[in-house]
Amino acid sequence: MSDSTPTGQAILDRRLNAVSDDLEALRDSVGDAPPDALVAGAIGSLSLFASFVGFLLVSPLTVVAMIVFLVATGYGWIRHQALTARAVTLAMTASTITVLGLITVFIFLEAIPVFQYSSGEVFGITVPGLRMFTQTKWEPVSQPHRFSLLPMIHGTVMVTVIATLVAGPLGVAAALFISEIAPPRVREAVKPAVEILAGIPSIVYGFIGFTILSPWASDQFDIVGQGTYLFVGIVVGLMALPTVVSVAEDALNSVPESMKSGSLALGTTDWQTMTTITLPAAFSGVSAAVLLGVGRAIGETMAATVMLRNSPAIPEKVYNVFYGYETLTSLIASRYGTAHGNHMDALFAAGVVLFITVMFLSIGSQMIEARMNRKLGGEE
Amino acid sequence: MSGVTESEIYRGQTTAIEAVPAVVVGMAAVLFALALAALLELVTLTDRVAGVSMIVVLGSLLVLIGIADVAFGVGSRLELVETKPEPNAGLVAAAAFGGIWFVVGGLIGSQTLGAGLVGWLAVALLFGVAAFGLAAFTREDVGSTLPAGAFAILAGVVFLTGAIGPAWTWEPNGLRVTFFPKSIVPLVVLFAVLVAGWAAAKAYGGFGARGRHVGAHLLIYLNAGAIIAVLIGLVAFVAVKGYPAVVQGVEVGLGVGPKTTIALFGGGNTIALFGVSYTLDLLPKLSYTVVWPIDWPFLMNGAALLTEIDGVLPAIVGTVWLVIGAVLFAVPLGVGAAVFLSEYAEQGRFTQAVEIATNGLWSTPSIVFGLFGYAFLIPRFGGNKSLISGMLTLGFMLLPLVVITSREAMLSVPDEYRDASAALGVSKWQTIRSVVLPAALPGVVTGVILGVGRIAGETAPILLTMAGGTFLPGNQTVDVIGGFEFVASPPFVKNDALLQATSALPYQVYALIKALGGNQNLIENPEAFGWGLVLVLLGVVLSFYAVGIVTRYYFRKRLHG
Repeated sequence: MSDSTPTGQAILDRRLNAVSDDLEALRDSVGDAPPDALVAGAIGSLSLFASFVGFLLVSPLTVVAMIVFLVATGYGWIRHQALTARAVTLAMTASTITVLGLITVFIFLEAIPVFQYSSGEVFGITVPGLRMFTQTKWEPVSQPHRFSLLPMIHGTVMVTVIATLVAGPLGVAAALFISEIAPPRVREAVKPAVEILAGIPSIVYGFIGFTILSPWASDQFDIVGQGTYLFVGIVVGLMALPTVVSVAEDALNSVPESMKSGSLALGTTDWQTMTTITLPAAFSGVSAAVLLGVGRAIGETMAATVMLRNSPAIPEKVYNVFYGYETLTSLIASRYGTAHGNHMDALFAAGVVLFITVMFLSIGSQMIEARMNRKLGGEE
Repeated sequence: MSGVTESEIYRGQTTAIEAVPAVVVGMAAVLFALALAALLELVTLTDRVAGVSMIVVLGSLLVLIGIADVAFGVGSRLELVETKPEPNAGLVAAAAFGGIWFVVGGLIGSQTLGAGLVGWLAVALLFGVAAFGLAAFTREDVGSTLPAGAFAILAGVVFLTGAIGPAWTWEPNGLRVTFFPKSIVPLVVLFAVLVAGWAAAKAYGGFGARGRHVGAHLLIYLNAGAIIAVLIGLVAFVAVKGYPAVVQGVEVGLGVGPKTTIALFGGGNTIALFGVSYTLDLLPKLSYTVVWPIDWPFLMNGAALLTEIDGVLPAIVGTVWLVIGAVLFAVPLGVGAAVFLSEYAEQGRFTQAVEIATNGLWSTPSIVFGLFGYAFLIPRFGGNKSLISGMLTLGFMLLPLVVITSREAMLSVPDEYRDASAALGVSKWQTIRSVVLPAALPGVVTGVILGVGRIAGETAPILLTMAGGTFLPGNQTVDVIGGFEFVASPPFVKNDALLQATSALPYQVYALIKALGGNQNLIENPEAFGWGLVLVLLGVVLSFYAVGIVTRYYFRKRLHG
């Protein structure tokens, strides 16, 4: 067992040492570099930053900054290719964080007005956006405007629960099949088949659902109008299934062969090995797979938009899966064209809720996967 | 060790009695297929089979299978057959049977007996606990077959005696739905057959560890088969429904098709500088005209009132340009970031932050990308929807895919390559350029192809940033190459085609669905047009995936011999 968790002071010391190490490395590399490379690098970074700022401010001078950047990079490429390559790739890496930051900032910025409009009071403190989650009326047209996200959250929860019930067990069973049970030739046929299932665009599912499935369902169950959470959930589950299968299959494959062989050598059946050795060992990876499937189901837009009724409401019986109204995603996709002002900002607020939820799920599954890699890597 | 002589290395031949559960599993498969056919309304419940109505056939087969299950359990308990049951059926089976009988009890309590909430809860609990106890506390051969067999017998008897007959309906309180026999009977039969078939498979395996192994394998094989069947069914269904519309009016022959002109700078030899046109006779005419030898109206026409056969050309061209733009934006950025992450950076907080950001971007819903494009890109490209906004939004979606797959490809290049190169005195950057990147190229290319397949089918991002017009006529096909113009003031290059709001294949499907619900008189047969359009979209996307999968398979074969 490793020693006990470090104290707060030790963590702080370690962090400070890491920072000072980084600074020293930076100082060394700057000291080693030839002066004209430093100048080109400085001009390049400044012009890149300037062109980014210019783009943000819709300035016509952005192109000028861009040209300066290209010239500086070209000069650096010809004279000091290795250094330039390192700097340019560093900038490209930073772009991923930049894009995520931009998305967060811009979505939040657009949603702020409607959060302020829908503030509520709790013990005398004004909480922005509280009324979006405490009252259930959605009225964007006639005064007084009310923007509640609760009907949409209810819809998303219903669809996601049904989709998870479909994609979770069936996906893990299919992953078990591909990684443990299938003979090699069958595996080589089934794996691409699952990937192709992942490739079918969601609007295609939506079209089939709209023209075939919804009318059939309304006829089979004598439902007024078309649109049920049940069948949208089943379709979304079918879409999330390949995600669960591929991530869970990776997790099951990473269980060391020695563990399984050892169990089989003791005379267990394949199924006993799977349930007592493989699945528990890969449990973190499999749960990360299900979490990612849930995230995919939450974010599914087009199939839900096309198959639901697109009028926000909570059914009288909250568990009624036979009537489907609106999810967070279908709200945005169906109303973007006709919404302005606070109505449009409410769509951004729905986007904020979606973004935060999926971010939590993504970070959670990454933490679980990191823990699994530590456990199975033999370092514990 | 005294136990050695008593253990069995192999079980010997399967006797006739031991083969009976296999026959029952076969019967269960036949019944499963029948019930599926009834659910899909290929047969109806009142059809006569050999003079007997379908519902009677289903019910009696179900009763037979249930009796067989009970017989296996009793036979094994009375030591008539040699089996190796465990002391109890296990927690999973007990919980499953408890749940099933809880629901059955609840339905009996509330519907048959008409009891209130407390009444049916009590009946449900009674049944559920009894089933759970039977499975958990008796020997496995009895505990895993009796509850399953009894459930199948009950369902079969209910259908046989007409308690649920062709005229039965049920309207649960407050749900505003009606359950009809045509959906309930096949669904119940399917479920009962699954449960009874599972118990029969366990009996075939002789109970115990081997029995559970056989039972579990039955369910898992069935699950995998169902998934494959759904995939094949979906693709085949779309192909069959869309084929007539797509191949309508196809002609092959020289000079039969439309003319295409590829023109740079407007195709002439005039250039506009500082607002004045200059004609330069020294420049060659930068345009080229091609007459296609094939006329494929669905893929080459637009949709307009005067067009004979409406087609989807503007949408196809839009999708092509979207993909090209997104790839040009995302691939250099993503490969560069992957190079830095795998070759230069050390495992630290920066790389961790980048990994979290990349994985987060990968999971972000596509509609959120659309909102971001609407808020960030549209104001910066003229305030209206435009092709370039759509390109960049899809590029943002493609970026994390490229980073993740390129990084994986570069990490999988063996370290020996790098070490050998360093031993020859080659610098780090030279090694990356001439050893690592070429070796990782197949993986990168495969990742890009699969990523392109994903974004080519995305609707939500382009819905908010690019999509314009419901059905575009052929002359509104966006012409990006011919749209480039030089101008004097910044930004020095202008392209009106890139700033145009145009259509793409996925958006066209969405627009068609919206039009199906309303009134439109542009397209004569919108539903057939829609199936053809969906087939084209599916064909485009799946061909990307097929190429990607084949290249990955080919390169993996080459790498591992």
